[in-house]
Amino acid sequence: MHRLNQVLLAMDRLVGADLAGWLAHGGGTGLARALDHPAGVIGVLAEADLRGMGGAGFPTHRKWAFVAAAGGSGGDRYVVCNGNEDEPGTFKDRFLLEHAPHQVIEGALIAATAVGANHVILYVNPHQTEALRTCREAVAQWLDHPLLARLAAQLGGAVTLAVVPSSGLYIGGEETAVVATIEGGFPFPRKKPPYPGQSGIRGAPTLINNTETLAHVPHILREGAAWYRDLGVGAACGTKLYSLSGDVLRPGLYELPMGTTLEDLIFSFGGGMLQGKEFKAVFTGGPSNTLLTKRDLDVPLDFESVRERRSRLGTGAMIVISEGTSIVRKVAEYVQFFADGSCGQCPPCKGGTFQLARLIHRIDTGRGIRADLEALENLCRILPGSGRCGLIDGAVTVVDSSLHTFREEYESHLLGR
Amino acid sequence: MAGTIVRATVDGRAVEVPGGQSILQAYVAAGHTLVEGVGCMGLGVCGSCRVLVRRAGAAEVRAELACQSLIEDGMQVSFLAYFKAERPHRYRIEDVADSWRMLDKVPEVFPEAAHCRHCSGCDRACPKHLEVQIGVERAVAGDLTAAAAAFDQCIMCNLCTLACPEHIRPNHLGLFVRRMVASQTLRPVDLLQRLHQIAEAQMAVDPDAPGGRAPAG
Amino acid sequence: MTTGIPYPEALSRLPPGGAQPMRPDPLPAPELLARHHPDHIGASRVTLAVGANRGDTCPPEVARLLQSNALVDDLDLAGAPLHTTDVLVVGGGGAGCAAALVAAAKGARVVLATKLRIGDSNTVMAEGGIQAAVGAEDSLQAHFEDTMRTGHFAADRALVARMVTDGPDVIRWLIRQGVSFDLATDQSACSRLLLKRAGGASAARILSYRDYTGLEIMRVLREAVDLDPGIEVWDGCPAVELLSDDYGACAGAVIYNLEWHSFVLVRSRATILATGGSGRLHLDRFATSNHYGATGDGLVLAYRIGAKLREADSFQYHPTGLAHPAWLAGSLISEAARSLGATLVNGLGERFIDELQPRDVVAAAMLRECAEGRAIERDGRTGLFLDSPSLEAREPGILGRRLVTLCHLAEKCGIDPAREPLLVHPTLHYQNGGVAIDASGFTGVRGLYCAGEVSGGIHGRNRMMGNALLDILSFGRRAGAKAASKLGGVRPGRAGIGHVYEWQRQLTAAGLPLHVKGPALFPSYGHFDLRADAGLRSGKGRIGSGRTTR
Repeated sequence: MHRLNQVLLAMDRLVGADLAGWLAHGGGTGLARALDHPAGVIGVLAEADLRGMGGAGFPTHRKWAFVAAAGGSGGDRYVVCNGNEDEPGTFKDRFLLEHAPHQVIEGALIAATAVGANHVILYVNPHQTEALRTCREAVAQWLDHPLLARLAAQLGGAVTLAVVPSSGLYIGGEETAVVATIEGGFPFPRKKPPYPGQSGIRGAPTLINNTETLAHVPHILREGAAWYRDLGVGAACGTKLYSLSGDVLRPGLYELPMGTTLEDLIFSFGGGMLQGKEFKAVFTGGPSNTLLTKRDLDVPLDFESVRERRSRLGTGAMIVISEGTSIVRKVAEYVQFFADGSCGQCPPCKGGTFQLARLIHRIDTGRGIRADLEALENLCRILPGSGRCGLIDGAVTVVDSSLHTFREEYESHLLGR
Repeated sequence: MAGTIVRATVDGRAVEVPGGQSILQAYVAAGHTLVEGVGCMGLGVCGSCRVLVRRAGAAEVRAELACQSLIEDGMQVSFLAYFKAERPHRYRIEDVADSWRMLDKVPEVFPEAAHCRHCSGCDRACPKHLEVQIGVERAVAGDLTAAAAAFDQCIMCNLCTLACPEHIRPNHLGLFVRRMVASQTLRPVDLLQRLHQIAEAQMAVDPDAPGGRAPAG
Repeated sequence: MTTGIPYPEALSRLPPGGAQPMRPDPLPAPELLARHHPDHIGASRVTLAVGANRGDTCPPEVARLLQSNALVDDLDLAGAPLHTTDVLVVGGGGAGCAAALVAAAKGARVVLATKLRIGDSNTVMAEGGIQAAVGAEDSLQAHFEDTMRTGHFAADRALVARMVTDGPDVIRWLIRQGVSFDLATDQSACSRLLLKRAGGASAARILSYRDYTGLEIMRVLREAVDLDPGIEVWDGCPAVELLSDDYGACAGAVIYNLEWHSFVLVRSRATILATGGSGRLHLDRFATSNHYGATGDGLVLAYRIGAKLREADSFQYHPTGLAHPAWLAGSLISEAARSLGATLVNGLGERFIDELQPRDVVAAAMLRECAEGRAIERDGRTGLFLDSPSLEAREPGILGRRLVTLCHLAEKCGIDPAREPLLVHPTLHYQNGGVAIDASGFTGVRGLYCAGEVSGGIHGRNRMMGNALLDILSFGRRAGAKAASKLGGVRPGRAGIGHVYEWQRQLTAAGLPLHVKGPALFPSYGHFDLRADAGLRSGKGRIGSGRTTR
């Protein structure tokens, strides 16, 4: 069996806001190395093949390089740690911010070193009150730390480090919505381009990384890219936080080597299916991706392997469904989440998610007819790409995928089938 | 063009009909059953036939009325159910007892209205292209005349209510303002006089008068 | 079919400025009506063989439904849940909403069940306005006599007297609910109402709000109903049959829930049918200005349970329905256009009728032009010119200012009404007759009331513009008040569809077919089959097959 919780969730690193505790267990080294060789940081990340853990799996070094190259020298630059995490089944970032915030903060400071940012912001979901409180406490302890002073000296000016509560709304996690919120507005996603890397907060180049992504950074800098690569299974690199939930015996947050199979996650670590029931499917976080089914149990949970199964690893959330659970009801729940979360700027997103939710709810509550399925499929064809952000696409993907994979279950709910 | 056969999809159903008719007409002409999402069927005043429309080759999806838009080749259409807000505003128009307090009533009944984020989602959702957001703004600012004017042609399709992230329910706010202004300020003198005459039995109808009967022969 | 004069040729004959004189007409109005009004064309009449109006005639499309068998059998209702209420209102237009509001205000628990959605009705489409005799030069008596005369003295004088007397109070009630009306001057405090003159009226008496008075009234009443805690609104819930008790009284209705594909039995102390008219039956294949749900359901249900109808053979054809393009055929151009001075012109460039004559006379005159080959033909559609360019030429800006809906419609036709005339043809607009009622909307069948277009006796054989909105509010309020009163309802007892069996005996005795079912619920082109939709025996296919729901 793979080693569990060996980096981010290692017991001695879960020190909460205690900076001394973090520094005593390897903290600070990574940032110091970065400050010694700022120009080399991005190269190290490239070698480590660190990916964006918020869902996209985009190579982190490329994003950093983009921001580092954006605009001229001088002027403000921002690094934002995105801790807005709000979607059903994902609970990794809040755990990190609550129990091990310093590795996240150090990661953000390393990012600031690499891209030359003089503002570092922890953007935290205010519904996670404990995480917000711990972050504020943790940030306060960094303010008079010599490493921060070194960073300021290197950038030739003051460095701010602050916690900004997000709106707590789902769309608030979208990158342009992060920018809008920090600027003091409502988290309305904006048209892209320009991307925040070019023109973000108040027009300044802005690097926005997921909380978990930044948490990996100090360890990579400290132990080296080769060490990090070796942590993964096969071609995959490093470790990953998997939020395991649903019909499993031991739901919870697991840090496992990137590329651990779905079967291992559920049956070895998760203790298998609740009540010993048959495995039916997994919604990956999310939950806005194509469902994984029984024939996908052998899939290594890394970005490429899951993509080969036409789904996405997403945030690493795995919501496991057994034969005893209704797919239609789960989809109804998630689509309602998207419908509520849609901001209303784009009529097709608000109207489309509303109509999807209504049709599925109708089927779920025993009033559906065959035409409702056709109407659902029709919406799945019309809606993709019609919004400014990806919300509508996520909602459509989960509906379309469940309709495609579990059509019989949908049909069994219909009136007079 | 009228006469030419167009192929479109409405709620997943193939519609293959001569062009030159509305989406609603095309849908029934293609033999499909229509029992909801339809009202006046042509005038565009009932707000029942809300649809999302994607035209051939277009990336944009628009909210429209199916009785007001012509069917086109390659069009994809989905009906939108009537949205009912979960927390409906509750008021009795009679309770606006003192017309000098009309301005206080707006925030009292629609406290969310002051939270407008100016995202224009309501404007984009409006199939009548009304200036919904400006109407909300005016109502909040206490310019009841301008607010009433903004919603003058509103058909109450509820698409702006669906769109609003602050749950403002703009069309209902607009209607509230219009109802309040009318019920509190409209006192036509000719109506008052006639009501007075009737109440004082100074005017009545004589059903047996010759003018109410067919002329002899 | 007669053909008309080709459009380009007709257009070239349209005199600029519209100052052409009227063509002399040798035919007196009664003769014109007898020869050209569809009500009087005998070949299209059927004599009823069963029911309270046996021996009377009506159009075949109506007769077929009036003499139809019930849509449901007792067994179809097995397992249907029972819901009780004080007052059941069937229909969500202006009459139904007014009835529900007044009944609820009197403390009754009200269920308002409507086939489409509350507000989807002919009310919301009314453009012209509402009549109420408030003008200084006007009187209730004048309103009364105008109404009687326009209706060819066929109306119930007591009902008309009640309605016109209610007029000013109805306006006050509407204003209290928050309905706006146009004023004659800009001065707001204590201004006078803007009054327009209707065809056939002796005084200016039409009150209006722009040219969407119906929308203004309907959106206010719908909101009032929605916000009233005493009223439950059931959208998508047509009545498919009435319930009767052992004594033949109406005891509620069988409601079909379109979303749930199932029946609910609503047991009520009083039932108010406010189901509106029947334009969507397309008598004589006329296009209609009516909303999609106008299929005469209430007429059929009331007749089956024993109510008497009157003037059931009389319909109003609104002169100015759009004739071209085909997709907008039947769409209404408000009488306000003619009130403001727009003229009707035939393919020869002639005016052929005083446009402010009563609607039936104008429509008959137009149909005569069509029948005698003087109409205009365009893309296979026949009609007459409504000369909007001349009106605009005489009073620049009047179209955009006063005829907003007309301009919208013209825009949809792809024409500029200031430069090009609209092609119009009479359109099936209003059911003049209906269920006979007394001043409280009572039908004579205990527990059953009717209000609005479903009822008869108020408009005689021809309705004046603006009297429909007054009718629905006057009698909607009256029916609501009476239904909610102690004496207005029936005592709860057993309720079933016993009257249907008696009806079937009569149908059989008269040799009428039992397979013809009614009410229609939806237009024939709506492709709705209740039995299939509900998954009933003998229904074709599975529940909801062929249907799209939302």
